[in-house]
Amino acid sequence: MNSKLDRIRGRAWLLGDNVDTDQIIQGRYLTLLDYQQMAKHALEIPRPEFAASVKPGDIVVAGRNLGGGSSREEAPQVLRELGVGCIIAESFARIFYRNGFNIGLPLLIVPEATRFIAEGSILEVHLGKGEVVLVDTGKTLKGKPLPDFMMTMLRAGGAVALYKTQKQRGAKKQ
Amino acid sequence: MGQTLAEKILAAHTSSRRAVAGSIIEADIDLLMVHEVLGSRIMPILDEMGFEKVWDRDKVLVVNDHWAPAANTQSAEIHQRNRRFVREQGITHFCDVDCGICHQVLPEMGLVGPGDLVIGADSHSTSYGAFNAFSTGLAATDSALILATGKCWFMVPDSMKIEIDGELGPMVMSKDLILSIISELGVDGANYLSMEYHGTTLDRMSVDSRMTMANMSVEAGAKCGLMTVNQHVREWMKQYAPDRGYREVNPDPDAEYTDTLSIDLSEKELTPMVAIPHSPANVKPVSEVGVVPFDQAFIGSCTNGRLEDLAVAAKILDGKRIHSGIRLIITPASKKTYMDALRAGYIETLAEAGAIITNSTCGACIGGHLGVLGPGEVCISSTNRNFRGRMGHPDSFVYLASPATVAASALKGIITDPREVSP
Repeated sequence: MNSKLDRIRGRAWLLGDNVDTDQIIQGRYLTLLDYQQMAKHALEIPRPEFAASVKPGDIVVAGRNLGGGSSREEAPQVLRELGVGCIIAESFARIFYRNGFNIGLPLLIVPEATRFIAEGSILEVHLGKGEVVLVDTGKTLKGKPLPDFMMTMLRAGGAVALYKTQKQRGAKKQ
Repeated sequence: MGQTLAEKILAAHTSSRRAVAGSIIEADIDLLMVHEVLGSRIMPILDEMGFEKVWDRDKVLVVNDHWAPAANTQSAEIHQRNRRFVREQGITHFCDVDCGICHQVLPEMGLVGPGDLVIGADSHSTSYGAFNAFSTGLAATDSALILATGKCWFMVPDSMKIEIDGELGPMVMSKDLILSIISELGVDGANYLSMEYHGTTLDRMSVDSRMTMANMSVEAGAKCGLMTVNQHVREWMKQYAPDRGYREVNPDPDAEYTDTLSIDLSEKELTPMVAIPHSPANVKPVSEVGVVPFDQAFIGSCTNGRLEDLAVAAKILDGKRIHSGIRLIITPASKKTYMDALRAGYIETLAEAGAIITNSTCGACIGGHLGVLGPGEVCISSTNRNFRGRMGHPDSFVYLASPATVAASALKGIITDPREVSP
């Protein structure tokens, strides 16, 4: 059960529009079996300094269509591996969005996010309300609140954790 | 209210027989395709889940295709894991490194037909829309859950209708058509949507050409690229899946579409197109790209490595020699494609023209092996993505085009309109 979800606080790392899965993790690293090794190459092309300097809890903020291209779950997984607390984007590519929730990494759609959020600024994300607060100015950006279905998955810690919980419940009932 | 193709096929796979755009449903999967992602990412998740037995060993296809045969020790280890899984689980359908690319071998094995719901752990799983099947790509976690349960949740997509009428001109291929559509829509223009293709152009189109379009629908963000059945699909089913019955699925006349894109080729002639680095939506007519020299020309992949593609390349290069100083790499989409091309004489023609013919693999398309680009290198490619670093070094450049354009370009050494060299 993930209780940190109600208030996620961290520093913003900005990305542009259409940052595809190859920019998040290149195909040539996909044979690395250890996520820690792979994560050293996260965002290597658009933000080469990212993997070495990102801190646990930091928040990635992107423009439109984050994570287009390959279905590779490694893309959100390397960000989670580095401790990214939440990903905000103006829009997400379909499979990336689904993969994020599946692995228990919160994603929030916030239109105009990159217009108001500056690199390095401190953000507070309230997933249930679908809001992002810029801590320095107090400005609140409205995003799309998450459907219950997604919140349930996140609170469980991802799709696999949810499956295990449901399986256990099923076993108890029997 | 009538149903779209996506709604109709998904509804048939739920217990309630209902699937309305925007709703979340749980559906029964007809077939799950997994490749190297099984050994690398899915198996650790299965361990975490306490997985014991696959839900149906006849409904899973495992393919070793991305680095085939193994390009390094890591891919070799992944292949070993896949083989072990297939053995231990008694998986019926397995393609090892000698078969070909998943999206080509799956239909060749007769594993997809009209009305099916097929999931692949690969984004280009939209390809099977060419067979009137709802098919889409998901990743490791969803695949692990499907392996255990045979079920998966979906948001039923809204649908965009794409109506294409008229004839493609000589040396103009379905690749040019889909590139122009992606250019029109943008890389997220069909995000979450089902692209539903109709029109006389599609009614006449070969299976090879239809697959190229369904395959690349994902480059506009689409969840699937669905088509109705035509005579070529019926013949394919007769040849590759003679023992299975199927029912063709058509949308209702009053189905609701969020958008319609109409293309009349007799009104506005389509010319060969090329996608400029680094986006598949960054498309221009070949005639407008100027003088673009390159280092490598590549024909292959799940997008354009089929028999029709090798045939057009062989026709253009027959009795000729590729431009000096460039390399042309040809990777047939499957072993069967390779053998068919061999028998038809294409392989000999292409090799004599100076091409390097490789075995079937995803290989160069993903910067995996057999044609990786170095720093500053430029490639004209019949593949699907020209993202930065996709085919190798982050400072390399990929132009996407039809196999005809790639072959014509290989002849001239600069990106060339195939109509200029048409034999």
